[in-house]
Amino acid sequence: MRRFALFTFLAASISAQSLQDFEKRITEFTLANGLHFIVMERHEAPVVSFYMHVDSGAANDPANASSTAHMFEHMIGKGTVSLGTKNWPEEEKALKDVESVYDKLEGERAKGRRADKAQIERLEAELKKAIAKADSFVDQNAFTREIERNGGVGFNASTALDATNYFYSLPSNRAELWFALQSEWTARPVFREFYKERDVVREERRMRVESSAQGKLIEALLTTAFTAHPYRNFIGWASDIENLRAKGGEAFHKTYYVPANMSISIVGDINAAEMKRLAEKYFGPIPAGPLPPRLVTVEPKQEGTKRTSIESPAQPFVAIGYHRPENTHADDAALDVLNGVLSSGRTSILHKELVEEKKTALGIQTISSFPSGKYPHLFIYFAVPNQGKTVDELEKAWEEIIARVQKDGVDEAAVKRVKTKARAGLLRALDSNSGLANAFAATYMTHGDWRKIFADLEELEKVTTADVKRVANVYFKPANKTVAVTVQPAKGDAK
Amino acid sequence: MKSAILVLTSASFLAAQPAKAPALQVGAWKTLKYGKLGDVKIPDIEIVTLKNGIKVYLLENRALPFITGSALVRTGSLLDPAPKKGLSEFTGDVLRSGGTKSKTGDQLNEQLENIAASVESNSSDEMATVSFNCLKENIDEVLGVFVDVLTQPEFRQAKIDLLKTQYRSAIARRYDDADSIAGSEFNAIVYGRETPFGSEVEYENVDAIGRADVIAFYQRYYHPANIVLSVQGDFDKAAMKARLEQALGGWSPQAGAPPVFPKVSNVAKPGLYFGEKKDVTQTFLSIGHLGGLLSDKDYAALEVMSDILGGGFDSRLFRKVRTELGYAYNVGGGWGADYNHPGTFRIQASTKAESTVETIQAILKEIDRIRTEPVTDIELNTAKEKVVNRFVFNFDRPVKTLSRVVRYDYHGYPRDFLAQYQKAMAAVTKADILRVAKQYIDPAKFVFVAVGNPDAFKTPLTDLKLPTTKLELKVKEPDKPAAEVSEASLAKGKAILAKIQQAVGGIDKLKSVKDLTTTATAALGNM
Repeated sequence: MRRFALFTFLAASISAQSLQDFEKRITEFTLANGLHFIVMERHEAPVVSFYMHVDSGAANDPANASSTAHMFEHMIGKGTVSLGTKNWPEEEKALKDVESVYDKLEGERAKGRRADKAQIERLEAELKKAIAKADSFVDQNAFTREIERNGGVGFNASTALDATNYFYSLPSNRAELWFALQSEWTARPVFREFYKERDVVREERRMRVESSAQGKLIEALLTTAFTAHPYRNFIGWASDIENLRAKGGEAFHKTYYVPANMSISIVGDINAAEMKRLAEKYFGPIPAGPLPPRLVTVEPKQEGTKRTSIESPAQPFVAIGYHRPENTHADDAALDVLNGVLSSGRTSILHKELVEEKKTALGIQTISSFPSGKYPHLFIYFAVPNQGKTVDELEKAWEEIIARVQKDGVDEAAVKRVKTKARAGLLRALDSNSGLANAFAATYMTHGDWRKIFADLEELEKVTTADVKRVANVYFKPANKTVAVTVQPAKGDAK
Repeated sequence: MKSAILVLTSASFLAAQPAKAPALQVGAWKTLKYGKLGDVKIPDIEIVTLKNGIKVYLLENRALPFITGSALVRTGSLLDPAPKKGLSEFTGDVLRSGGTKSKTGDQLNEQLENIAASVESNSSDEMATVSFNCLKENIDEVLGVFVDVLTQPEFRQAKIDLLKTQYRSAIARRYDDADSIAGSEFNAIVYGRETPFGSEVEYENVDAIGRADVIAFYQRYYHPANIVLSVQGDFDKAAMKARLEQALGGWSPQAGAPPVFPKVSNVAKPGLYFGEKKDVTQTFLSIGHLGGLLSDKDYAALEVMSDILGGGFDSRLFRKVRTELGYAYNVGGGWGADYNHPGTFRIQASTKAESTVETIQAILKEIDRIRTEPVTDIELNTAKEKVVNRFVFNFDRPVKTLSRVVRYDYHGYPRDFLAQYQKAMAAVTKADILRVAKQYIDPAKFVFVAVGNPDAFKTPLTDLKLPTTKLELKVKEPDKPAAEVSEASLAKGKAILAKIQQAVGGIDKLKSVKDLTTTATAALGNM
């Protein structure tokens, strides 16, 4: 135990050193329009990583237009008014025509049973023609080509429930290219090839959910656990996606892509003063706007265990979720420690008992924050039964283990181990420009200060075994529980 | 209409702002001038040989207070004796989980996790690794565990039994995931199901492997002459060298002859191989044939050709199948080369069942086009600029240089292979690309693997006019009727285990809809 204490001391001092070192190398500034920048100089190699974090995501999708945030995110690949077009004035006109025909078509469709079928067909054909005309002005994928040609790597974007991210890295002498492209796109995105990209997004849902037993199971878990809160829908409904409109994307952009709702971080071989000059030059002209409206829907209290199942010929999976509060809640750190004690590493309770000793599970995992953290969400348990074992056995085994944790608490040594691993894990994560850039922007937007990356560890350090036992009792309650399992289709419809 | 007007208004508002407000920099990207790129630091790697013959690569890297090391063992699943397919992966796994003469695997788990360190052992097709990772102040303790695992493994029976259970479970899940089926069946067909390159671990192999086999496999391949070690991190080279000599230099078990890896000899039967899966809405496709070696003289030209055909966000396949037709989210691929055995030329895509045949046809059309028409100047220049401008990312972390040097040495490639490739790439012409596309890609030899639900295909597969073989997506059951085994699988045993682990971990990724990278937020935010 002596060595252990010594180690903890050492690791703590290392992390304090890192924080000081970071303070020295980081420059922060906010433009007049409210856009916040975090810049860190790292001169190890002549490369630089950029991260733009928008503090809104799929949870902000308008009603009946799920996947709007995601669909808008895909527009990053479509370019700007100056990049991606053969003739912008003509293309702009053609795009307007597309929307105008589409409005007429929707108007006719809205008549429902009184709609004129022939008119609908005529408008559909007209829409197709209008789209083809707009497409004729497109210089395809020119935006991504410009990035790749200049040595950009890791170009991508992601839409989560509470955030949307845009990121890539460049050779550091080409940093200005990022400013030029990202500012132009952020200020004036173009809804180019929107209706083809809609098909691509629809394919993405097919791939991630409809063609994956796990994807279907998680969707079932979330739609069952959440009745009202938008966390119930993580990738969008097929029929919503198939009817998304460019004007919905425009409205979303106008509401959520305001400078004060975004944060940018830059990490690499750059000069902070120069980055500030470029930020002013390129992002300064974007007009300020009001912060988006708050998401007011609160998930009503759950009144009893909920269960759902999906039929799948695949081998079984089980997922169990418990409602828990948002990430800024005082119990967050204790729930993280509980999560670590339960399933992080080979010494964790679930791994040791279910994977190694009883051989019930091929794999297990718990996640303390799912599917996102800004609003109250779930603590989940996900398990893959071994051959011949059932999801019921894995649910029962889980219940036994948490009953024991609730009654007897957890080992002091296990809690210490979790804290130690968290410290080392943080240090290990400080090794890449892109990882740091991501962490700075995201942490700033969610907690108001990038230093929270380190402060989190301090909070973790304060968690006691009593805290862990308490949160296990508070949140792992039958009335708070949702179970989702896969079941074999009835004989006969299997194929 | 309302929305379009809205955009127009805000655009003209921007333009009409008072002169002193700075204007948005529209089109500024066109005229940017870039300064010279800063110097790339090539890290200094020292190579020494321990008394017992182990070659050691040392790289000082003081950026973070960690030390990592990796022993590369010349073995792998390609050397598995046929009835005991999976033996090298079994050995790699139980080497660590089965503990050492003095400590059980569980004791090691606790000891290492207490100090946030790791010692791991793995095996892939042509190499096995035993590695460690620790904070620098724990180096003596962790190096001790690492050496103990490498030189004194106990292979306890209980962990062999556990691994057998896990392999069986993974095999039972082999045919659950349509995406991985398309990939593994493609490999099995192209390399040959009965060859070490294309075969899979079956229940009968798992049953046949015993502790004595594992020990014999270990003794045959895990010895100094068959190992190279690389160590990098926050240490002083001279001190580390002395430390390694002391910890490992005395280990000198009997050496076996250098292993000889098998050669690829399969000739695949071209045609369509269809796997029926009714619980998916997409069809997963893998199309292609054998590829080549990294040392082929045309490798650079093939790479440029591949990039134009199916690499990145602006390849021809991406443009046609995704951007233009909206048939797929995932589409791409190209020429695959490996160090010492041919890789595969492979195009992958997944599309809604309805557009299965149309997607295959669109892919074939693009392949035909690259074989019959020269690429454009823009395509060639973009592909070249991309490689030139990205070159610096080969050196953005010192560890990349280390692993490259070790890999080149291991496979008998020149140390400056990357520079040679870079040079060859700069010389590639449009004529070269057309020539290699014609010479190396042969649609008459294509293997088409499609896994999906045929009930929903708009155009029947028969329209492709290809000889068709139905894939039996059932696990081979030696002693039970095959029907009892549920749906079934993917490639080699460990690949399945890895896949399952990934699947378990993959849940975390579902948090974000389009996330192709492993970001540090998870590590930073969720500990």
